[in-house]
Amino acid sequence: MIGIVMFLAALLLLVIGFPVAFTFGAVALYFGLGAAYIEIVPDGGTMLEWWDEFLSMFSMMPFRIYSIMTNKILMAVPLFIFMGIVLQKSELAERLLQSMGTLFGKVRGGLAISTVLIGALLAASTGVVGASVVAMGVISLPIMLRNNYDSKLSCGTICASGTLGQIIPPSIVLIVLADVFQLPVGDLFRAALMPGLVLVGVYVLYILTISYIKPEVAPSVKRAEGVSYSANLKTALIAIIPPLTLIVLVLGSIFAGIATPTESASLGALGSMILAAMYKKLSISLIKEASLETVKTTAMVFAILVGATAFSMVFTYSGADEIVEQFMTNLPGQKWGFIISAMLIIMFLGFFIDFIEISYIVVPILLPIAQTIGIDPLWFAILIALNLQTSFLTPPFGFSLFYLKGVAPPQIKTTDIYRGVVPFILLQMLVLASIVIFPQLYGFKV
Amino acid sequence: SAKKIKWKLAETWPSTLTPLASPPAKLAALMKEMSDGEFIIKVEGKEKHKAPLGILDMVKGGQYQMGHSGSYYWKGKDINTVWFTTVPFGMTPSEQYAWFYYGNGIKYMKEVYDKFGVYNYPGGNTGNQMGGWFRKEIKSVADLKGLKMRIPGLAGEVMAKLGVNVTNIPAGELYTALDRGTIDALEWVGPGMDIKMGFNKVAKYYYTGWHEPASEMQFLVNKKAYDKLPKKYQVMLETAMKAASMDMYIENFAQSADAWAKMKKDYPDIQVKTFPKPVMQALKKASDDVYAGYAAKNPKFKEILDDYTAYMKKAREWSMMSQYYYLQTSKELESTK
Amino acid sequence: MLLKIERFTDKIIDFFGLVTAVLLVLMILNVAFDVAMRYIFHNSSIGMQELEWHLFAVIILYGTGYALKHNAHVRVDFLYDNFSARKQAWVNVLGTIFFLLPLALLVIYGSWEFVMDSYTSNEISEDPGGLPYRWIIKAQIPIAFIFLLFSAFNFLLHNVNTIKGNEKPLVIEEDQL
Ligand code: NA
Ligand code: NA
Repeated sequence: MIGIVMFLAALLLLVIGFPVAFTFGAVALYFGLGAAYIEIVPDGGTMLEWWDEFLSMFSMMPFRIYSIMTNKILMAVPLFIFMGIVLQKSELAERLLQSMGTLFGKVRGGLAISTVLIGALLAASTGVVGASVVAMGVISLPIMLRNNYDSKLSCGTICASGTLGQIIPPSIVLIVLADVFQLPVGDLFRAALMPGLVLVGVYVLYILTISYIKPEVAPSVKRAEGVSYSANLKTALIAIIPPLTLIVLVLGSIFAGIATPTESASLGALGSMILAAMYKKLSISLIKEASLETVKTTAMVFAILVGATAFSMVFTYSGADEIVEQFMTNLPGQKWGFIISAMLIIMFLGFFIDFIEISYIVVPILLPIAQTIGIDPLWFAILIALNLQTSFLTPPFGFSLFYLKGVAPPQIKTTDIYRGVVPFILLQMLVLASIVIFPQLYGFKV
Repeated sequence: SAKKIKWKLAETWPSTLTPLASPPAKLAALMKEMSDGEFIIKVEGKEKHKAPLGILDMVKGGQYQMGHSGSYYWKGKDINTVWFTTVPFGMTPSEQYAWFYYGNGIKYMKEVYDKFGVYNYPGGNTGNQMGGWFRKEIKSVADLKGLKMRIPGLAGEVMAKLGVNVTNIPAGELYTALDRGTIDALEWVGPGMDIKMGFNKVAKYYYTGWHEPASEMQFLVNKKAYDKLPKKYQVMLETAMKAASMDMYIENFAQSADAWAKMKKDYPDIQVKTFPKPVMQALKKASDDVYAGYAAKNPKFKEILDDYTAYMKKAREWSMMSQYYYLQTSKELESTK
Repeated sequence: MLLKIERFTDKIIDFFGLVTAVLLVLMILNVAFDVAMRYIFHNSSIGMQELEWHLFAVIILYGTGYALKHNAHVRVDFLYDNFSARKQAWVNVLGTIFFLLPLALLVIYGSWEFVMDSYTSNEISEDPGGLPYRWIIKAQIPIAFIFLLFSAFNFLLHNVNTIKGNEKPLVIEEDQL
């Protein structure tokens, strides 16, 4: 119960407009006071014991913060952001996207499609939410807006392609699920590849369709006057090659065993500087600006993580997770009813707590039921992974939305982002449904 | 009637990770039953407290009354904590349990953990751990030079002495790193837990162990909280902890046997290897050097080392007479059938 | 007078920001260096690998205060943007007092034992060749949150100045440093 009230309180307070991170933290704080009261005072505890209990609960914050500090996988966040900002400030990103855009000729939506494709490439080299959303936000949002793209479509495209990193391996979501499902990570990685690629395809199809129906949302990028198609192709290719090589090198360094996915992001950051130097754009002031901006954005991401960790700490403390557990043991025992209600619960929980906790609360309860019904665990894991990936996109608390808002120009409103992701959430659900209904198409033996 | 006792226990592992997460779950269930529901322990896995390596501090600070972890994780705070998990070329589980309960093991635990304001108890054993997964065969000591390996703690120190390039890779990236050859080798636990990580799919050579012959987990109990308990609950708690630890040792054995049978059947390519004698000799010598180094700096370390070594010498003779020769003759019978 | 204090605190915060920016570049080089050492020379040090997250930790911890001054913490803005500047300033003043300050104080309070445990046990890395003096990096939590308090003070001043009508652009350009 207290969990639902906390959620509503957070929602109300967020709307006032004080920074999200501190609002989450403060809601946790005041509800923590309340939860500690309920724990101590009715059992005959004194006011002092209540206060001690509260302090003891929050003295766990440094431990949680320290875990974030020592989490080397999170280092990908600043590394990716830095790469994105350098590519943007040196105008290489613009050239890349513009040129890719012109290659689509009269077909509209080229910039958005290029964004999806680059997002898919970045997704293959990071598994951290935030890293690719922010990098994509920095790289392609300004360019789409300058080319008169609809701000909602632009934001939706970026958030969706940014969260692709969660389903296209490597991905932390998949690693956590492998752990809870007790399945080898590699099996999950392989099984997630196909759904990830289908998502990419579906996004592209959607963009093509919507820009065909509503030409004003995604105008085609015109090539310069009097330039022939082949001449344009040549300049376009020349512009595309360097930044694309950079991304391919980042990926290559993982596949060749040179670097771990996180480390590869540092090669990307370094490579972006070398590239900028080759185009004579590198300067001390560029590095300074890029790194100051990276610091701000990374800190914004970190602060949200800290606020959210306080939030879920109090949520768990208040016993809300136990209520969820009890509720779930009463799910329907028949296949379709079970799958649908499981998916709805996970989506609902996505509002309150992070995907790691969801995985550990939900899966141990659902897995035995799933096994008695005879559901393939690998298939079930992928369904959950897709669902969790979607939870990064769903308003009001989807992290990707906050991250994009954090780097978007001021004219982009929270509501633009909220409304922009709706079609993509529907697409996600469509793909999810297709995996449920046609598992064979994705290589599952169900 | 007296107020219900409500304790919280934080464990280093996710709450689903058997067999490591089994002792706390078992302990909580036993305590609830034995106390008629008057002593409740709420177990929180790593997914909840999010501070797997903060257990000792959190039990000391009283945020949790109990913890379940591995003593050697606190090596950075006091090198002597390693004695209560396992050490390279150390005792087997039976020998070590004998040292804990009937030698000086428990006495040293009390001494070492005293300054942390907690009591430490044995918390379940993984048995002899495997030496790790290698992408290429180790034929000589020279093959170890420059080998990129994830191997933490004391064993890492030993390997580093032989020129191994000891690397830190977050657990989440280990599979990809081994698959791609970013690292050449890693050590994890044993078949039961390794199969879940899928390492058998990306590295062919599975080496037998030398570095963690008897990894004992630990229960930590906040001293103040324990001392406040009525005597009957103290006895109950100690009994339940002991039962839960024994149970994990057995559970792990069963899981590993199953997992190994499955691995062998599904992945016939796996090649089980033991390091050649010169490599083992070099590892043993390096281990002794590491111990000597610590003993020279830390008198307590020397005291425990001497006691441990003496006990192992005595216990090993009996292990050889009782178990080794039995296993050896059984094996001979098997092969001459 | 208030405006003068604000300008002065601005400079201090921006100095911290600049330091984290330099550390970020060092972190990029640090990670790339470790990759090269391992791949090319088969010889990487655990100490250098631990330095990576030490740098990362300092960047995110101190960056939080810096980001506050530069209004980089994301907000839900559909009401906020339609508020007048004064009303926005009120949101910030109240939010800082009731949300940010208690939160930062709690973290600082809780860190004391956390850092002292590390200091008194002379905690070092548990891996071969790792970094000593763990308490130093752990102590960055309370120190950085004190810096966040300082930044919150600057943020309060700025918003009080806005309410009082002593306006100035929210973001001071870096080159005014
Ligand atoms: Na990914
Ligand atoms: Na191990």
